[in-house]
Amino acid sequence: MNLHLGNVTQFSSKETALNENPVAAQIEFRHVTKMYARIAAVKGVSLTVGQGEFVTILGPSGSGKTTALMLLAGFVAPSNGDILISGKSVAAVPSYRRDQGIVFQNYALFPHLTVRRNLEFPLEMRGMKAPDRVKRVDRMLERVRLAEFGDRMPSQLSGGQQQRVALARALIADPPILLLDEPLGALDRNLREQMQGEIKSLHREFGKTTICVTHDQEEALTLSDRIVVMRAGQIEQTDTPEALYDRPTTRFVATFLGEANILEIRDFKVEADAAQPSGTVAVVRPERVCIAAPGAPKRADADLRQSVTGKVDDMIYAGPLRKYQVRVGNSMVIVREHVASGQQTFKPGEEVCLGWLRSDVRFVKS
Amino acid sequence: MEVLQKFGRMPAGLTIPAIAILLVVVGIPTIQLFLTSLNAPSFSLVNYQAFFEQRADVVILFRTVTMSVVVTAICVIIGYPTAYLIVAAPQRLRITLVVLVLIPWLTSGLVRTYAWTVILGDHGLINNLLIYLGVISSPLTLVYNRLGVYIGMVHIMLPMMILPLLSAMQGIDKSLMAAARSMGARPFAAFWRVFFPLSLPGVRSGALLVFVGCLGFYITPQALGGLSDAMLSGFIADQFQSTFDLAPIATSAYILLAIAMVVLSVFGFNLSDVQGRPAQISHRARLSQFSSLGQGSRYINEIVTHYRAKRWASHLYQVAHGGTWSKLVGVVFMLSVLVYLLCPGLIVIIMSFSGAAFLEFPPSSLSLRWYQSFLGDPSWTGALWTSVQLGIATTIASTIVGTLAAYGLSRTSSRLRSFLIMVILTPITIPVIVVGVAAYLGLVNLGLLGSKTGIVLAHSIGAIASVVVIVSATLANFDRTLEQAAQSMRAGPLRTFTRVTLPLIRPGIIGGAVFAFMHSFDEVVVTSLVSAFAVTTLPLKLLENIKQQIDPTIAAVGSLLTLMPLLWLVALYFVWRRSRLNASHMLTEPAT
Repeated sequence: MNLHLGNVTQFSSKETALNENPVAAQIEFRHVTKMYARIAAVKGVSLTVGQGEFVTILGPSGSGKTTALMLLAGFVAPSNGDILISGKSVAAVPSYRRDQGIVFQNYALFPHLTVRRNLEFPLEMRGMKAPDRVKRVDRMLERVRLAEFGDRMPSQLSGGQQQRVALARALIADPPILLLDEPLGALDRNLREQMQGEIKSLHREFGKTTICVTHDQEEALTLSDRIVVMRAGQIEQTDTPEALYDRPTTRFVATFLGEANILEIRDFKVEADAAQPSGTVAVVRPERVCIAAPGAPKRADADLRQSVTGKVDDMIYAGPLRKYQVRVGNSMVIVREHVASGQQTFKPGEEVCLGWLRSDVRFVKS
Repeated sequence: MEVLQKFGRMPAGLTIPAIAILLVVVGIPTIQLFLTSLNAPSFSLVNYQAFFEQRADVVILFRTVTMSVVVTAICVIIGYPTAYLIVAAPQRLRITLVVLVLIPWLTSGLVRTYAWTVILGDHGLINNLLIYLGVISSPLTLVYNRLGVYIGMVHIMLPMMILPLLSAMQGIDKSLMAAARSMGARPFAAFWRVFFPLSLPGVRSGALLVFVGCLGFYITPQALGGLSDAMLSGFIADQFQSTFDLAPIATSAYILLAIAMVVLSVFGFNLSDVQGRPAQISHRARLSQFSSLGQGSRYINEIVTHYRAKRWASHLYQVAHGGTWSKLVGVVFMLSVLVYLLCPGLIVIIMSFSGAAFLEFPPSSLSLRWYQSFLGDPSWTGALWTSVQLGIATTIASTIVGTLAAYGLSRTSSRLRSFLIMVILTPITIPVIVVGVAAYLGLVNLGLLGSKTGIVLAHSIGAIASVVVIVSATLANFDRTLEQAAQSMRAGPLRTFTRVTLPLIRPGIIGGAVFAFMHSFDEVVVTSLVSAFAVTTLPLKLLENIKQQIDPTIAAVGSLLTLMPLLWLVALYFVWRRSRLNASHMLTEPAT
């Protein structure tokens, strides 16, 4: 999927005045609050996005992530606080005086214009002359492998092609900022993986500061340099995908990003390397839990582990994975095991022994 | 014969009653008219020659077309910003505004025309006010001239322009405008390059409805215009009263019909499809690329390129100011349109409570005497009773026939469906005076001229069209899998229809019935031709009295005719709301 078209996509700076802007910009949210009627959609959010960084805002619906994007795009103004782009306050700057590219959730391709005219639109609005526009559109169409589709109407394209047109249209004027609103939400699974690759390679190639808003954790994990998890208008945690998954700080982040077993104290005493701070719960990821028959020989690292016994409640087979639900005391522990040959499987009702490394237990704010 | 039987078994067969009524009442007579206009069986163009040799006829024809074009243009100019402002308004306000625009559309055009004579007359509201304020010393001539006709006709036609525009504009995805702005399009550029082209199907539908409406509607120009403002439709109606020779009437009607057909076929027949389909849009976009208009705008576009580039650079990341003025202008414009649309109705209602012995506004004293005089006069109450009877009969007939047709159409292949819909909607898409002339002939054929049954038939053709439109809209949102579910539980087709489909589309049927009743109750153009002075309906009696300009009882009747549709509207609102509440209730109810 990674296409290297070399200098095909490099825009010469002589061609137009558009490229006076830096390639990428820094974005800063300072205590931004946005009220709708009396309800705060975004509450005191502070965030800095570095030049060329790919940051994903992740959250369930109603978490304020879309409002955050609207604020950034200039469609709504903050009720409080300030938004800075490369150090300049843009809180009162309307969208059409910002230099940005946006890929909308439903692509928002103009249905009455051909693909070519769609791509020309942002160039026209920036006052680029017709011959330059045509040249640049040709190159961009080639870059997104739609060279022969320029004269089609958007309705005559497939979902994936429309998505590529939307990306091309957002990038063609070479804006320092790229905003993506649920960019892959409308695509089916296979296409989505392809497009993730496409977005990644475009980001690598153009180096735009990119902010993506999504509720899809897989999309967030695969695309981003950093992920901002939002909940009820506030930032819950900001970190790199690995750190966020391995070291969540709150129960919300732990359960929203992937699956997590919350270990209830009342069922058994949780052993961990560190003492449990108050106001926290212990979590362990399902794939860190090992499942074995009660009489199985002890593992070499047994003294680093905690083991408990339980009864298999259910088993789900999902291709490369096997997922057990094991009842331990009153709670369910989920175990995710990669399917391997010669592996012992357990049926519902069987007694099993569960074990995990004490260092894999995390304490998160409940 | 075999083909016919096959057709009868198909779902489209359910449209047979509707089409049969249509054919008998206006379809066959239209062909007869055509033959008459051609002097069949000898076949010649003598009648057409005679028409075009008469200078007066040609003048009237030319005037009809010009006046219709002018009214259509004014409606576009006023209606477009109005619809735009309504769509841009926040949801609550938007619904209120839509209702306020709908109200005049639902109330009697006759009454509103009458109200304009009161407002614009020499001793009318405006002249009195201006004289009182000392702006003028002698009354301005505002009515019984072209100005009065335009004021009155635009008033009648404006809602018909606004409604399709609203429908088209509401279908435009808001994110497209956001996308345009995000790419650097200033608000006007975003409007002109994105919103406007996408709203054009609405402009087209609205303009066609208004234009064809103007061609056929003669009451307003006759009531508000002078002798030199007569239109072809009025001319036809007058000929009807004075001569029994059908040939010149048929010729005039066909010329009117031909204009309507030419305009409809040039700009597209399909009035029911307001939301232009993507395919159509793309087709149009292709066309416009080759059109000179497209070339011209592209040329201008290139000229401003330099200016754009400069502005882009200088305005980048600059704070925008203002917007207050444009908001103020919008509010003032919207208020003026609402005053223009609603005032005549309000004035009639207020005037009807006057205590004076003659029409005056504002009334010097209040009383119910004109209501008493209305109820005490058997000629008025008789007319009211006749109208109610005709209305109920028309409603029952057209609701049953129309619902069957709509149901049949909803499961017919799309090509046949669009053809059948076009046929069924003909009575409301061609000039109404032509429908009237054809219905006259049709009832003569049936021997029903001047009978109540005849009038019910004549009213039904228009009413069926409204029922089909409304019930079809409801059926379009109806989930067909519910019927399949019922059938999987061994319910036969009839049982499925009565137990599942009918209860779910009931709000649409009730809506259709209300519109059918209102259509019949307000109808005056066709009725005046087919009643043959034997049956007097309330609008006919009203028309006669307006022409003679007599007592303020007219105001009382007008006020009743204005208020009644409002009551209907409120009733409808409750029916629809209840059904929606029920639906949402069912959805939220946990399955037990």
